[in-house]
Amino acid sequence: MRHGLMKWREDELSQADVLSRQYRLQQAMETHGLDGVLVYTNHVRSAAVTYLTGFSPYWSDALLFLPATGKPLFATALSKRVGNWIKSTNPTSDIAHSPRPGELIGEQMVAIGCRKIGVVELDHIPGGLIDEIAGVSNAQLEDASAIFAAVRTVRDAAEIALVEKTNQIAADAFASAPTERNLVGDVTEALELYVRNAGAEECYVAIAPDLKKDTRLARTKGQVALGETFAIRLSIAYNGVWIRRTETFARTSGESSFQSLALWANGLSNGINPSKNLSSQLATSSLPAGVSISRWTLEAPLGNRPLEAIATMENEVVRPLPYGVLTIQLDTKQGPVVLARPIGLYLSLLSVGAAT
Amino acid sequence: MKITEKLTSKVAQVRRQKLVKAMQNANLDAMVLYGNAWQNDYLRYGVDFGILEGEGIAIVTRDGQATLYLDDAFEADRASVECDDITIVVSKDIVQDVAAKINGFGNSNIAAAPQRHLPYGLARLRQKHNIADATETIDHLLMVKAEEELQAIRRAARLADEGYAVFRDAAQIGVEDYALIAQIEAFFRANGVDDNFMIIGSGGPEVRGMAPPSGKKLKAGDLVTTELTPCIDGYYVQICRTLVVGPPSEAQQKAFSVYHEAMVAGIDIVAPGISASDIAKAENDVFRKYGLGDYVTSEYTRVRGHGLGLFPDTKPHLLEGVPTLIEQGMLLIVHPNTYHPEVGYMVLGDSLIVGAEGPEVLTTTPRELFSVAQTRSAS
Repeated sequence: MRHGLMKWREDELSQADVLSRQYRLQQAMETHGLDGVLVYTNHVRSAAVTYLTGFSPYWSDALLFLPATGKPLFATALSKRVGNWIKSTNPTSDIAHSPRPGELIGEQMVAIGCRKIGVVELDHIPGGLIDEIAGVSNAQLEDASAIFAAVRTVRDAAEIALVEKTNQIAADAFASAPTERNLVGDVTEALELYVRNAGAEECYVAIAPDLKKDTRLARTKGQVALGETFAIRLSIAYNGVWIRRTETFARTSGESSFQSLALWANGLSNGINPSKNLSSQLATSSLPAGVSISRWTLEAPLGNRPLEAIATMENEVVRPLPYGVLTIQLDTKQGPVVLARPIGLYLSLLSVGAAT
Repeated sequence: MKITEKLTSKVAQVRRQKLVKAMQNANLDAMVLYGNAWQNDYLRYGVDFGILEGEGIAIVTRDGQATLYLDDAFEADRASVECDDITIVVSKDIVQDVAAKINGFGNSNIAAAPQRHLPYGLARLRQKHNIADATETIDHLLMVKAEEELQAIRRAARLADEGYAVFRDAAQIGVEDYALIAQIEAFFRANGVDDNFMIIGSGGPEVRGMAPPSGKKLKAGDLVTTELTPCIDGYYVQICRTLVVGPPSEAQQKAFSVYHEAMVAGIDIVAPGISASDIAKAENDVFRKYGLGDYVTSEYTRVRGHGLGLFPDTKPHLLEGVPTLIEQGMLLIVHPNTYHPEVGYMVLGDSLIVGAEGPEVLTTTPRELFSVAQTRSAS
């Protein structure tokens, strides 16, 4: 579940911001002849509803129905006792509670005469909810993932600012981590505490405690000893926006060479455009001598998942993205180094479907 | 990409054996189990992975072999470190991949669970392949624990108590609710707790329930409610307590005594052979005795307790009218949490294992309305 701060912050993401996103999707509905778009959410597949409303559920699940015109209806299995909290964090939707939210949405579709509904990630929606809808409505349901993704790729200043803020929380957390470290718990506990105290909504810490032996990152228990070099990944949600930041550390010596690689990675945040060919951009990114890239993965939010893999070094895909998170594994004389940064943060890089 | 690992934990082995036995009894060739970080219990019963991001689908065959499909390469990396004895497949569209696998099963007998959460892309194959609904079968396995599972559960209970002690120490005037929770989360992470279900409430009669933290600062006189539910090796155990910032008022003390009496009444009747409804009725009768019957209805409260285990809110729900038979080996929390018209929302609950002769109460934190010194304040 989500444990961190969850509140509406008009100064960071305004009602006008989310209303403009809803309006863009409604325009796309008109183009594609849809009477509405249905989006599922739980705290794992939260990103599409968060994009349209600013809301993330801390628990349970819900459906958001955005009709071709008018206000969205948010139907949730969460009980009425948390209704005030939902209203306070989802101010642009009408809120309805039911143990059968699909049925409520189906009734709404009937009430406004819907015949064709687009569904974001139709095949991934819980079958039970579709059964509930089909029990009361004959509307045709068709996948609208591509339609939503096209709307989603439009960059807006509010989202980029939130990504920057979240990235800064991660950077500050790493900067404040203890320098005396022998066990995994010496670092991970302090990182999580810092991130949550900074107002993050969620924080997952993963670690590769001995990079020379194994570069895979896991939720390693606190008592495991750290090797000579280790990597830590912070996956953080702040006000609905997710980023990852991964750093590599030397426990005893050789920290300075890793610091120079971290600075190189910092430069990628504003120097790389996630919507263009990454291999060619990385090839001109002034990597220090003796260091080579052995693996990279690009993630971005396009649908229900806060971050999903878009491209890898082996399978380069170029498509418009609102922002990205780039994870890179480097081969160095000191062994493997893993780094991750959000990329495409600066609006000056905006070259894809600019918001007006 | 496929990664095959060895070894597996004892408790996961026991679960897999019980699952395979249930499949053999039902003449099933394959079981499809879906999970995500919210509803992971069905998946985790078959394959011991605590998924965080994306979705997972496992196929367990009657020879006990398991394949876990994940849609996130980073999660697959993690699974290959944390899980063993399973084959891990990572792909962009696991629904499509598992559907293709099911199509290849031919005339095999297949079941799937949980019915409500099964992705539509698989759910619509139910008729074509005559896929049975295994939800009830898995629910029973989830509810009635093996001794190996109970050992992990007892460890989680100790951390629930310790976590509440951290909560009490951190609660002070001026502290924001999310900073309070940050202390608990850091403590849990340092002590091997993978996850924690936790909501919080603070204030007076205006507070109708608990929710995620919203930046509210604790102030003198507040009732501060929380349920803590740490997870050890996949098993959640819960504790519910209420504290007052400053000395409790007479009204708060009087109200608390009703919750205490109700919880004790509920716990005292727990035994194999009664129903979930019986426990709820024992709790609710106490409220009715004091003229608070309206406050045990769905207008003010959700359940009077529930099952725990690989999910923090599993079956059976303790509600009047729920006929589920209570069996030895179940893990329950009895919590008469509800709104009180004079003082606001109040909680009190202890987790217990249903033993042959009665309840084994796991949480040991005193059943008190705690008080935090009013002089203590956040810097």
